[in-house]
Amino acid sequence: MASVKLTDVKKVYDNKVTAVHDFNLDIKDKEFVVFVGPSGCGKSTTMRMIAGLEDISGGTVEIDGVVVNDLQPKDRDIAMVFQNYALYPHMTVYDNIAFSLRLKKMPEDQVYEKVTNAAEVLGITDFLTRKPRALSGGQRQRVAIGRAMVRDAKVFLMDEPLSNLDAKLRNQMRAEIILLRQKLNTTFIYVTHDQTEAMTLGDRIVIMHDGFIEQVGTPMEVFEMPRNVFVAEFIGAPKMNLMETELVREGNQYFVTPFGAKIEVTGDKADGLRNKGIGSRKVLLGVRPEHIVLADQPGMDAIPCKLEVNEMMGSELHLHVYTPDETRLIVRVPTINLSLEQRRELKYGKQLYITFEGKVMHFFDPESTKNLIYD
Amino acid sequence: MSEQKAIAPTGPVKRHMGLKASRALGNTGIYVLLIVISAIWLIPFICILLQSFRVESTWQVGYVIPQQWGLDNYKNLFETDFPRWYLNTFIAALCTAALQTIIVLCMSYTLSRFRFKMRNGLMRFMLILGMFPGMLTMIILYRVLKDLGMTQANALPGLILVYVASSGMGYYVSKGFFDTIPKSLDEAARVDGATRFQILKKIILPLSKPIVIYTVLTAFMGPWGDFVFARYIAFGSSAGSNVAVGLYNWLSKDQINTRYTMFCAGGVLVAVPVTILFMCLQKYYVEGVTGGAVKG
Repeated sequence: MASVKLTDVKKVYDNKVTAVHDFNLDIKDKEFVVFVGPSGCGKSTTMRMIAGLEDISGGTVEIDGVVVNDLQPKDRDIAMVFQNYALYPHMTVYDNIAFSLRLKKMPEDQVYEKVTNAAEVLGITDFLTRKPRALSGGQRQRVAIGRAMVRDAKVFLMDEPLSNLDAKLRNQMRAEIILLRQKLNTTFIYVTHDQTEAMTLGDRIVIMHDGFIEQVGTPMEVFEMPRNVFVAEFIGAPKMNLMETELVREGNQYFVTPFGAKIEVTGDKADGLRNKGIGSRKVLLGVRPEHIVLADQPGMDAIPCKLEVNEMMGSELHLHVYTPDETRLIVRVPTINLSLEQRRELKYGKQLYITFEGKVMHFFDPESTKNLIYD
Repeated sequence: MSEQKAIAPTGPVKRHMGLKASRALGNTGIYVLLIVISAIWLIPFICILLQSFRVESTWQVGYVIPQQWGLDNYKNLFETDFPRWYLNTFIAALCTAALQTIIVLCMSYTLSRFRFKMRNGLMRFMLILGMFPGMLTMIILYRVLKDLGMTQANALPGLILVYVASSGMGYYVSKGFFDTIPKSLDEAARVDGATRFQILKKIILPLSKPIVIYTVLTAFMGPWGDFVFARYIAFGSSAGSNVAVGLYNWLSKDQINTRYTMFCAGGVLVAVPVTILFMCLQKYYVEGVTGGAVKG
């Protein structure tokens, strides 16, 4: 239970590569913050600096108002779950979980109580006498979490804890982490490269790229109001469609003209453009795949395109289409809206018309890739 | 085997049997060869063992099987300086094993886990240093030890010092083994509140049993079988001699006829503990050698 404050935190490796640039973040007590980004973006490095496993090249890390830059991991009062579990192979599950408590010289009866409690919460009571190698991936991950849990640490760090699990188990463990978080009620920092995990777990998400923070915000904020193209493309799957097009202002009305169509900008987005006083200009128009719909026929607001790939996902179809000028777009269509006949017709080369509403558009500057409304 | 029986009467199996037969023949050949080789290797040991039980004469004879068996040679050993030599050797080997193991393991852990300035330079330096034969240092070592008063009758501490002194350079095998243990285990333990020493003791060493045993064994074996340094530093003093040096002196012209069978008995007593040790720990020893080598 503690706040964590990072001020201008920097990591420069011996070979002069800067992994993290001036990282500033205030993590509140009991907050669940997720660092997310592609591999090599510095998210794990940042977490390891908080944990004390990596030297801090510049700036300060504070836990509960105390600068911990020069403290050993053991003196920072943190608990950490590692990607590869890092269970001690020669110890039983019980001894693994009890390890930190015994180092603290806690009496055995208290150790017993804490370990069995944690095991119960995590559903691993039956495995306490086993060695880690006799456990499945999911069970090992639970032991790793149990080991961190019993420490009652101020800050709970998790470094890609689910990425070694298969998809089904990952979903299950994700839900369990949400439950665990409610039970532990402490400060969590969670690192992942998976945007779904970030969106479902985090109170706030820190999106990182090349050692820089791209955006910090709630899942809703980063999804609805991406500050730049990187965030817009990173959050959401499949990723956002981008088209270079003209934004046209006619009085108080805005229109976009992608691929010869003309679609009016409506809702918040039109208000946003007006408030920023933006005139006619070139923009990078972003539309999420789920916001594009199939139009029945050609029209002023419809973009003609041809179907290239049809991915059947079960409850929805992912249609990869290309426009006359060879721009690739992805359309997410719920299967429920299509008859069996219509679905059968969706084959390679089929002529389609797509459209989208004015309120779902995102506008980015083609040069700076920044969001015209939210940055 | 039962499968072979079941299909034996049918046609195509004959060829199968032929394959089996030729394999069996090949195996037999290999085993015969191995038996011959091990016999050649074992014969001197058996001879020494048999001679040590011969009581009808004490000099070298032209036959192997004793005419009269007895333990006189072993008993007589205890009326000489042999127990002293044995103790010297044992103390030297034990101290060296303990100290060298500690030094080597700490060194290996440090080089495997810590990153510090000149780490690579140090390792390269030690590699080059290790290429010089140890014999080169004999004369200067003797002078130094003499000045320290650790020669002749006081050779034991001097010997231990010499054996242990350069042991840090023998880190290769165990460092190679430690490198294969994931670093995240160290990190997890550090977060869990362990000091570096606790990590080494509670995590790394239990996971490196083969390499620890290998290190102890090799450290023990060096002094146990050493002759050159031991003789040089003891320099004629019986009290400062180890078993190899003391026994060797019995083979001199004026002693060999009265001491030869005792020499054999002494040899057996030297070999027995090491043989037993190796037989018990053989499994780990092999694992240690190969385990370290693969990734080292």
